[in-house]
Amino acid sequence: MSPKSAASIIAGVAWFALASSAFAQQVILPTPRLLTTMPMGAQVGTTVEVAITGENLEEATDLVFSTPKLTAKPKLGSDGKPEANKFVITVAADAPVGVHDARVVSRLGVSAARAFTVSKLAEVTRTTPNTSLETALALKPNSVCNAVMSARAVDFYSFTGTKGQRVVVECATAGIDSKLTPVLIVADGEGRDLVVNRTSGLLDFTPPADGKYFVKVHGLTFKGGPENFYRLALQDVAAGAAIPRQARTRSVSSFSWSPAADFGIAKTTDTEPNNAHAQAQKITLPCDISGGFFPAADVDTFEFSAKKGEVWWIEVASERLGLPTDPFVLVQRVEKDGDKEKLTDVAELNDIPPPMKPSSNGYSYDGPPYDAGSADVLGKLEIKEDGLYRLQLRDLFGGTRSDAANIYRLVIRQAAPDFALAAWAIHFELRNGDRNAQSKPIALRPGGTMAFDVVVIRRDGFAGDIELGMENLPTGVTAAALKIPAGQSQGKLLITASEKAPRSAGVAKIVGRSQINGATVTRPVQLASMTWPVRDASGEIPKPRLLADVPISVTDAEGAPITIAPRENKIWEVKLGEKLTIPLALTWRGEFSGTTLKLRADGAGFTAAKTPEVALKAPTAEFVLDLATLKPAPGEHTIALYSGYVSKYRHNPAAIVLAEAAQKKADADAAAIAAEAKKLAAEVSAAPAEKRAAVETVAKAASEKLKSAEAAKADAAKRMKAATDAAAPKDIADIVVSEPIRIRVLPSDKK
Amino acid sequence: MLLLSLLLASPSFAAESARAVSFVNDVVPVLTKAGCNSGACHAKAGQGQNGFQLSLLGFEPQEDYEHLVKEARGRRVFAASPDQSLLLMKASGRLPHGGGMRLDPASEGYRLLRAWLQQGTPFDQVTAPKLVSLDVQPPRKTLKTKSEQQLKVTARYADGRTRDVTALALFEANDRAMAEASESGRVKILDIPGNVAVMVRYQGLAAVCNVSIPLGAPVKSLPPSRNFIDQLVFANLKLIGIPPSPVCEHATFMRRVSLDIAGRLPTVAEADAFLSSTEPTKRDKLVETLLTSPDYADFFANKWTALLKNKRDAASDITANFAFHSWVRDSLLANKPYDQLVRQLLAATGTIEGNPPVAWYKRVKQPTEQLEDVAQLFLGVRMQCAQCHHHPFERWSQHDYYSMSAFFSQIGRKPTATAGEDVIFHKRGMAQTENKKTKLPVKPAGLGDPTLDIPPDEDPRLRLADWMGNKANPFFAKALVNRYWKHFFKRGLIEPEDDIRDTNPPSNPELLDALAKHFVESGFDLKAVVRVITQSSTYQLSATPNQHNGVDRQNFSHFYPRRMQAEVLLDSIDQFTGAKTEFADLPLGTRAIALPDNSYNRGSAFLKVFGRPEGASVCECERASSASLAQSLHLMNAADVKAKLATSGGRADRLAKADKPEPAKIRELYLAAFAREPQSHEQAVAEEYLARPREDAAGKPLPPEQSRRIAYEDLLWALINTKEFLYNH
Repeated sequence: MSPKSAASIIAGVAWFALASSAFAQQVILPTPRLLTTMPMGAQVGTTVEVAITGENLEEATDLVFSTPKLTAKPKLGSDGKPEANKFVITVAADAPVGVHDARVVSRLGVSAARAFTVSKLAEVTRTTPNTSLETALALKPNSVCNAVMSARAVDFYSFTGTKGQRVVVECATAGIDSKLTPVLIVADGEGRDLVVNRTSGLLDFTPPADGKYFVKVHGLTFKGGPENFYRLALQDVAAGAAIPRQARTRSVSSFSWSPAADFGIAKTTDTEPNNAHAQAQKITLPCDISGGFFPAADVDTFEFSAKKGEVWWIEVASERLGLPTDPFVLVQRVEKDGDKEKLTDVAELNDIPPPMKPSSNGYSYDGPPYDAGSADVLGKLEIKEDGLYRLQLRDLFGGTRSDAANIYRLVIRQAAPDFALAAWAIHFELRNGDRNAQSKPIALRPGGTMAFDVVVIRRDGFAGDIELGMENLPTGVTAAALKIPAGQSQGKLLITASEKAPRSAGVAKIVGRSQINGATVTRPVQLASMTWPVRDASGEIPKPRLLADVPISVTDAEGAPITIAPRENKIWEVKLGEKLTIPLALTWRGEFSGTTLKLRADGAGFTAAKTPEVALKAPTAEFVLDLATLKPAPGEHTIALYSGYVSKYRHNPAAIVLAEAAQKKADADAAAIAAEAKKLAAEVSAAPAEKRAAVETVAKAASEKLKSAEAAKADAAKRMKAATDAAAPKDIADIVVSEPIRIRVLPSDKK
Repeated sequence: MLLLSLLLASPSFAAESARAVSFVNDVVPVLTKAGCNSGACHAKAGQGQNGFQLSLLGFEPQEDYEHLVKEARGRRVFAASPDQSLLLMKASGRLPHGGGMRLDPASEGYRLLRAWLQQGTPFDQVTAPKLVSLDVQPPRKTLKTKSEQQLKVTARYADGRTRDVTALALFEANDRAMAEASESGRVKILDIPGNVAVMVRYQGLAAVCNVSIPLGAPVKSLPPSRNFIDQLVFANLKLIGIPPSPVCEHATFMRRVSLDIAGRLPTVAEADAFLSSTEPTKRDKLVETLLTSPDYADFFANKWTALLKNKRDAASDITANFAFHSWVRDSLLANKPYDQLVRQLLAATGTIEGNPPVAWYKRVKQPTEQLEDVAQLFLGVRMQCAQCHHHPFERWSQHDYYSMSAFFSQIGRKPTATAGEDVIFHKRGMAQTENKKTKLPVKPAGLGDPTLDIPPDEDPRLRLADWMGNKANPFFAKALVNRYWKHFFKRGLIEPEDDIRDTNPPSNPELLDALAKHFVESGFDLKAVVRVITQSSTYQLSATPNQHNGVDRQNFSHFYPRRMQAEVLLDSIDQFTGAKTEFADLPLGTRAIALPDNSYNRGSAFLKVFGRPEGASVCECERASSASLAQSLHLMNAADVKAKLATSGGRADRLAKADKPEPAKIRELYLAAFAREPQSHEQAVAEEYLARPREDAAGKPLPPEQSRRIAYEDLLWALINTKEFLYNH
């Protein structure tokens, strides 16, 4: 990377700092976040140097990936010491092509993830500005260029086109976590626009003549800066061949569909023309059909016979494949009377409802900003009478769009009960539209607990209990989870690092377990997170995605500011109708603003519990549960107490000590060199004429050395000031979640 | 009062006065003619006037009867003593009346109302003969300038009876600069030659008298006829005797067509190359070059996005507005057929980011607004009136209005994370909407077409698009070619360009038909419309009138010059001076014609003064095209214009420093400003001005380089402030 582009990224980090300080009070304690890498990908079997930027990444020692086929080492400078924020990545020859998650392990633990692509194409990184026709960067065929969009500008590229030789230009952005909405233009040799795409980052272009062509890239609203990075691919594609797309991260909604899903049903395809009832394509159930919503206003009509009492499950995957579609299924019974047909609606299947109601707007918090539902279809068809039926599948967004890329898979099957799970970290309260907290990694502080929503999409009538749990947890970390009760769609998960948990970083698994037809079925819980820490949701809609895995860490740099735990680690028993007093122990680390913590309870059946208000720094409290008023279901419950608080947080005070030592050394070095230089200067004036030249050379060298020593001294002073400023107490609002409280509710004695 | 004499003057009324007076066929027309039930008086929406409400222009006799006879305890009518009826007391001004005296007690109208009162105020909606048609004589006439013609209006009833209703009918000319129509139906022709229509209205029906006003000058020679436009325009000119001006110079053509197609001046290099070319087809080739340039797409997108209300109300609108503007621009660049473009807009579904025309549904939310905008913009039909009552000059009823509205009845919306933005989809169900008057459901129908039964699964908007794009649609193609004609000729064949109706005929109907036919046959090819217009000799006529055609305002006998619109003028000044105007969020060098929405007007006094529209209306009239004193002062004195002249590295700066002979530099200025060579006297004046020594405020001679620079800035200023620069001519 050139010093210039590095500088622009550093400038970007400074911008972040500014943006967060613009708010009176910061929300959530510093969490490590990897924000950008440059480049954003690498070719299989190569080794590349990357520069990273992020937040709270002090002492970033490791860059780790969600695949073991990607490994990284700190880049060493000419002095043999690691260069700050630079790594050398090795991509194994057999590394899977696709998007992986990159993360940094730093002082505060594992960072939030950033997408890193492994591709088969040759990679280049733009190093000099290319915002004019004259400075256009020449692209080689079948290559990818990594670049950052310049604000209020257009980036220019050029390529040599051959008449009739199709090329595909693609700009990966949102799919690799970039904030850029790309506009792609292919222009002629004089820069005059020929074709434009502003909706999908893809241009399929066949040059009308041999010659030079330009590719222009800019943001839809000409936004730019480090968050607006992109990977521009230029590929030769044979006429009629499928368009190769760069890999993308997965949307949250896609957790309920696996592209590899196989139901053991023979696969068929949608055969046009089948738009009209008269052209219905004959099928037999079960079936597994691949088709497309193409051309505009396409309707795919399928006809089948079914018998009374049959129950079929219909699933359509299209939106969950990452496509901008809204499938709709209508099933009608066909009764024939000579040439006439009577059609009676039997089933109308639309969206998959979200298992947890998402936030209704982007500003105040009234639910999670994650919509785990989908515009796809998943529903039941009950056949009430023997006869002929027709199913029509259409894309409610497809009336005027003709895009062959909008495909679907339609499966009509007998019940194959199953479930899919997703989870995301929750923050309970969000103020001023702050969505910053929604992208926190599982970087635990000892004594801290994080809470997660877990949601399930149940398939084909599956209604059983789902036990949630975690595997591969680091030492000192425990997970407590609510079971998702039969028929319900939500649960909670609490992850706690004990006060004595040692520093660690690893990858865990969250799983859900249930019994289906007598067999134990285990499914992974896929973690979702916001891709960027959005401070003001009124100005920017936070965009979530699924993470590749579940990284987890415990830091040894500092503890959680508050720990709230039941005094005894046991199951608290209580009978319905009676009261239960749970003594709580509170541990306070550091200083706080305000006077009390207003605790609230979380956990199905307990949210209305009367909860205590605890004075700041109080070592104990009592939580009295009155089961005469609450009336939870008998059985075992795991609940938690939570509260917002404001800590007077000191960021990395240990750094002051180090900076101070470094400053002292720099001062001393400078003083010593200055004395030496002074001495040499005196020698020069005293030296006889014949020796003067030689002494002068030595003195000159000493004075040069002094200059750099002075610079080092100034730098050390600057670092010392920065460390001191950062460590000055600052109000930060966050939430504290108690350690899990396990309660067994027994039936009442009274009959 | 004039009315009095008219009513008395009408012999037919006297003859009929013995018969029973009809409420429907006598009383209501009298009230209409006297203006009682006009929108400004007792038919004012909601409450009428001073507690007394009548239906607009008497379209609802039943309601009028209720209000007149039964309301207010019947105090408005007094059968026993008709003259004491409040109705007559007020109308004749014998009691204080906000509307003054409307009926003279001696008038026939007064006498009719009195007779009806005397008869006991009978109501005869069921029994009264139904009016079936209206006839005006003469329907077509050639009249000399400054002549007069009395019209005769005959009503025809279902029972076969006819009646002279000239005295009760309303008259209005569609161009008041050409003809005046009196209340008695006497048409006075003024001194502008061409075609004018006088609309006659009586009880919900309308008829037209088309008057052709020849100039009668000899048409000895015509420019070469290059396509059907020329044939039809020249045929009309011959018919009415207006000799056309000759075809303009190459330089004039080049500047004119570049401004009209690409919204910009030709560059010096382009002008040089074009003027020196000897190719016989160079004009056609230039049209082609301009049509394939992105400038064409930028310029016409600028026109369309304002009409489609791409308006910035909140900062968060930026994404939607940029996406929508770009969609229009890219569609024009790709020369998407017009029917497809409109279809994609009308029937848009999905999210704005995925399908930008959805943004139109963010701006235009109500089905009534949707149909009104679509009708006015794409069909040239103004339906607004018909929401509440029968259209006064049109055949459109409330039923027609709600039938159109029904196409928009199944639009589903789901909120998105962006406040105010919805996902749009087709909501399954029968397309229908309630007629607000009858409270009955109305199914979709195209204007003048039978009702459609659209299955619940079909998006009715697609059927609307089918109807519009049908080759036989009487409005769709006409509305577009008329709109584009106006773009190139300053005046539509129908004026206003979005008010197509039987009572507002085109000035050259054959030409409008031929243009529409050509457009349909080209597959709704927008570039083909531009091509056929700009390649015609008609478009290429000189703006200089000859001794006869100076009075012509609508026959296109010469080119009608017009001021450059705000964006084009700003770009032209930038291009001429070498300056760049900075616009928020956009790269430096973005031209004003490429601005995505109205938000840029706020920060630009220039764009505001020169009338850039705010995107608030579907009417092109929102763009101010007139000239004003503020505009002249802005060009002469405003700081932004001065700063452009003095731009470092700009044209003045560059020419002052350039090591080139002065005549060559002066030539460059004229090519840049006017796309033509300077004439010898212009050259001489400029040279003399440049050579003049200059002094500073203290009277000290300025150094030569500074003096030269000031001189060039002055020269540029002077050229910008000429009509030749400011106008497309």
